Amino acid sequence: MKLRSYLKPYLLFALLTPLTMIGEVAVDLLQPKLLSQIVDDGVLPQNMDVIIPTGVIMLLTIIAGGCFGVGSSAFSGMASQGFARDLRNDVFRKVMRLSFQQTDKFTTGSLVTRLTADITAIQQLVDFSLRMLVRNLMFLIGGVFMMMQLNVRFGIVIAISLPIEVLIVVFVMKFANPLYGIVAGRLDGVNSVMQENVTGARVVKAYVREEHETKRFDKANGDLMTANLKVMRLVALLQPLLMIAMNAAVIAVIYIGGLQVEASEMKVGEVMAAVTYVTQILHGIMMLSMMFQSISRASASAKRLREVLDTEPAVADGEGANGTEKGTVEFRGVSFRYPSSVGRPVLDGIDLKIKSGENLAILGATGSGKSSLVNLIPRFYDAVEGEVLVDGENVRSYKLDELRQRIGIVLQKSELFSATVAENISWGDKNASREDIETAAAIARADEFIDRMPDGYDTRIAEKGASLSGGQKQRLSIARAVLKKPEILIFDDSTSALDLRTEADLRKRLRESLAGTTVITIAQRIASVRDCDRIAVLDHGRIVGCAPHDELMKSCEVYQDIYRSQVKEGGEG
Amino acid sequence: MPPMMPPGAPGSKGGPGNRHAALLTREKPKNIKGSLGKLLKYIGRSKYLFFTLLAVMLLITVLGLLAPMIQQIAIDCITPSEERSGVDKEKLIRTLILLAAVYGGSALMSYLQGRLSAKLSQVTVRTMRRDLFESLVHLPIRYIDNHSHGDLMSRMTNDVENISTTISQSIGSLISGVLTVIGTFVIMLTYSPLLTLISLSTIILTIIVSSKMTKYMKKYFVEQQVILGRINGHVEETVTGYRTVVAYSKEQDSIDAFRGMSDELRRTGIKAQIFGGMMGPLMNCISNFGFVLIAAFGGWFSIQGWITVGTIQAFILYSKQFSRPINEIANQYANIQTAIAGAERIFEVMEAEPEPGGGDKPFSADEVRGDIRFEGIDFGYVPEKQVLKGLDLWVKQGQKIAIVGATGSGKTTIVNLLTRFYDVDSGVITVDGTDITQIPMSELRRAIAIVLQDTVLFSGTIGENIRYGNSDATEEQMKAAAAKAYADEFIERLPDKYDTVLSEGGSNLSQGQRQLLSIARAVLADPKILILDEATSSVDTRTEMHIQSAMVALMKNRTSLIIAHRLSTIRDADKIVVIDHGRVAEAGSHEELIALRGSYYELYRTQFAGNRT
Repeated sequence: MKLRSYLKPYLLFALLTPLTMIGEVAVDLLQPKLLSQIVDDGVLPQNMDVIIPTGVIMLLTIIAGGCFGVGSSAFSGMASQGFARDLRNDVFRKVMRLSFQQTDKFTTGSLVTRLTADITAIQQLVDFSLRMLVRNLMFLIGGVFMMMQLNVRFGIVIAISLPIEVLIVVFVMKFANPLYGIVAGRLDGVNSVMQENVTGARVVKAYVREEHETKRFDKANGDLMTANLKVMRLVALLQPLLMIAMNAAVIAVIYIGGLQVEASEMKVGEVMAAVTYVTQILHGIMMLSMMFQSISRASASAKRLREVLDTEPAVADGEGANGTEKGTVEFRGVSFRYPSSVGRPVLDGIDLKIKSGENLAILGATGSGKSSLVNLIPRFYDAVEGEVLVDGENVRSYKLDELRQRIGIVLQKSELFSATVAENISWGDKNASREDIETAAAIARADEFIDRMPDGYDTRIAEKGASLSGGQKQRLSIARAVLKKPEILIFDDSTSALDLRTEADLRKRLRESLAGTTVITIAQRIASVRDCDRIAVLDHGRIVGCAPHDELMKSCEVYQDIYRSQVKEGGEG
Repeated sequence: MPPMMPPGAPGSKGGPGNRHAALLTREKPKNIKGSLGKLLKYIGRSKYLFFTLLAVMLLITVLGLLAPMIQQIAIDCITPSEERSGVDKEKLIRTLILLAAVYGGSALMSYLQGRLSAKLSQVTVRTMRRDLFESLVHLPIRYIDNHSHGDLMSRMTNDVENISTTISQSIGSLISGVLTVIGTFVIMLTYSPLLTLISLSTIILTIIVSSKMTKYMKKYFVEQQVILGRINGHVEETVTGYRTVVAYSKEQDSIDAFRGMSDELRRTGIKAQIFGGMMGPLMNCISNFGFVLIAAFGGWFSIQGWITVGTIQAFILYSKQFSRPINEIANQYANIQTAIAGAERIFEVMEAEPEPGGGDKPFSADEVRGDIRFEGIDFGYVPEKQVLKGLDLWVKQGQKIAIVGATGSGKTTIVNLLTRFYDVDSGVITVDGTDITQIPMSELRRAIAIVLQDTVLFSGTIGENIRYGNSDATEEQMKAAAAKAYADEFIERLPDKYDTVLSEGGSNLSQGQRQLLSIARAVLADPKILILDEATSSVDTRTEMHIQSAMVALMKNRTSLIIAHRLSTIRDADKIVVIDHGRVAEAGSHEELIALRGSYYELYRTQFAGNRT
């Protein structure tokens, strides 16, 4: 297991933990023995001179044991928490190097779980293994040893009851484990009906489906109960069965002990000690059985973490390059498909050269490959065939940072972070002055609503901007990209939530303030882009036309189609 | 023995660390009596189960108390005494058989307890879930809009789950704990009041130390939880916003921030663990200390002839039995408090005013003509902010009305009011001349089909989703509806066609495809009144062109309200209504409004003249 190597830097603590634990357990194991001495040599012969000193010894060893105990938990904490920190950092660093596809495949929720709950589970496993596993094993072995020392015959009792206990645990767990899986599935079912009814309340009500939904829920709910009951009934067996096995052993010890006492081979106090040891041994078994459960849980976590650690980042840094044709983008015979997909490629033999300072639009139906095309420029994905050039150099030859430094991209879905408005705008440039920020906001037409916020630019954005409208979020993302002052600025359908007047105004300001910047705009509406220098029309992954509006109106059928669908009978031109 | 924490006992949900979670979430319910009462009422629905369980627990306690007593007799049997030198074998065997019987009975009873409490908790929780869900579906939209969905979900999952665990585990432990403590105390007193006093003193010491330690521990565990929460937030934000992180080359900054938090977590984690780890050895020390005291004093007492050796043995067992439930009771008390606080939140939802059923004026969805009038409507979601101010609007039967206006002008509000998701502050909305508040809510809504901008699909097959508004529809009708909405093309291409199961509300479909499905749903519902709330905004324009013709067919013979920000989709409406500042600013046909050169003309020009304005 590769994860084990993370414990190496903390090996000293990891070794000290079981050592100190042995001290603590030894003290615990000594107690019944000392007690039996008190009984046999002190109480029965009525000798107070034995009782008092033995009592003092007991007290002293107990204090020593307590110190050992505290020490072992401290050492274990240092080892397991350090282990967890290093592992956590490595996993996160790995996540930060993955491609979108890879993070999408893992999903956000699962990555969060992996970095928190899974790591905590493993950290606790390390802690438990170092302390509890050792502790219980010690109890087990030590208990058996001490008992045998008291009387070999007790060995028979142990030899019979130990395997029975183990069998019981294995048996119950074997049947219960798959049932837990079923319960988890049913619980998901209940939750998803609830979730749908919370988020889709309007539709449920509009179609008057309350009764239907209640029925659907009843079924999921009943299923969950049945599954739960099944597993709970089974697990209810575990404790009573173990109790029977354990108590039978106690009875056997007293009986055998009685015979030994009669034969004068043993003293009463030793029998009492044996009873305590039996209880301790069997208790240890119970604890170990529970521990194995948590080991199997943690091994699932470990597997999930290794999955992340073993993923090779799909996009790697280039050697480094310094393109000279500033602000140009070129596609040479570019084809692209998403690795897992089959069928037609998303992009098919794209040739396109975008000049420095050009204002290019990309238009096309959903699924025609517009977003995929621009995603190749900052290497969010890599082309399958052909090459993409930025500033005259292949994008793969740049270091990722160098490449992305040149490009500003405003995404379809605005992503805001929990920070102030100003911090969100200056996100790409920590050193930006307040003035820069306000200028960028003004260009993006975000200034008007920011000024209306309670704390203006210092208003904190909560929950990824849940309190902002779609249009407001888009304008903040645009301001952020504007502030970065990139050579190449890409708008990936990023004004869709704006009303038309705002959008038109925003475009005007952008054009005025971004002179010299290469701007690539993906849009749905012809009205948004008809003034661009050129409009590239994408259809099924191919460019079917790339020219100014007027020319396309004459030559490009697909474009005419789109135009007609948006402006019936030609508008007022 | 120290209280070794079983790492996630079977059936408990959180796995390791649950104990700390309970420590943290120990919130104080506001109205403990009221909520507890209501919770007990739920449990009380399974009265017989509950009382049987109680009886079983009483038996377990009694048997549990008997066992050490019999053990003591057995030990005395083998202890040489004045009147007998050897072992009283016959009595020993008899005693051991009795002991076996007691153990056996106790095991049987504890199995019964496990089953009964499982049943009690599951039955109770199922009823609670059902009641909660039933109130949820009948909650007014206003309530759902005003509450965080995450919070509502958490009430239905975490809080209910907490109650379930509490009923199945905590209540049992609490009751048997209290019974055991009382019983043990009484028995110990009968054995030897002096030894009882000694062992009581160590127990008091245990309670004092553990409560002091818990206080310290809590501080660190809270801190740990807070940092964990921050890490959680950071990862979530970075991963959901990953494209932006990458686009701005912020990976290293993000890693650095993460490392900082990660190390902070390590440091508090160690502190928490040291404190947490001290608890065990400390308790162990105290309990062993009690052990020594009992052994020493017991030895002395027995030398004085006040007690027998067996009594010492029994006393050691009893004193252990005494201190364990005390810790347990303290723990369970915290759990129960958490559960009651959860129950309080659940009852809050259950007791929220449900949506009214509407009036009882006879009204049939099938016979609606579809004449809609808004008269002098005032409305605001919050009293301070009026959205609609004296809105008047008349949509005649079979008319196709397009509503346009800037974001926030109140377009969607009109839909919310017509469907009675919200009710007007003043003014009247009538359908076919009847005030909509006077007719049954269900009939009103049956007369209306709505297609929203945010599509809502339900887990199930595509066919089931299309049938959502009309479950009696035949296969043919369903497919015809899909065809009318231009959804058949993509559905036919799916591997299982209409039987394709949608995952997570249709996340395996594109936004456009989902929208086509919700349009097909409206087509199949075949209502007299149709509302399209920016229904095609996420469908690209070429697909929209296809849908458009379907829409025209769909809207025939229906009263339709169309809300859109794309003017092209609404140009052939019978009437276009421009909403501005909460009232109708302009209304008329496209040509009329263009001729008017008012705000519609402005909107129109910005769209089609684009940047030239």
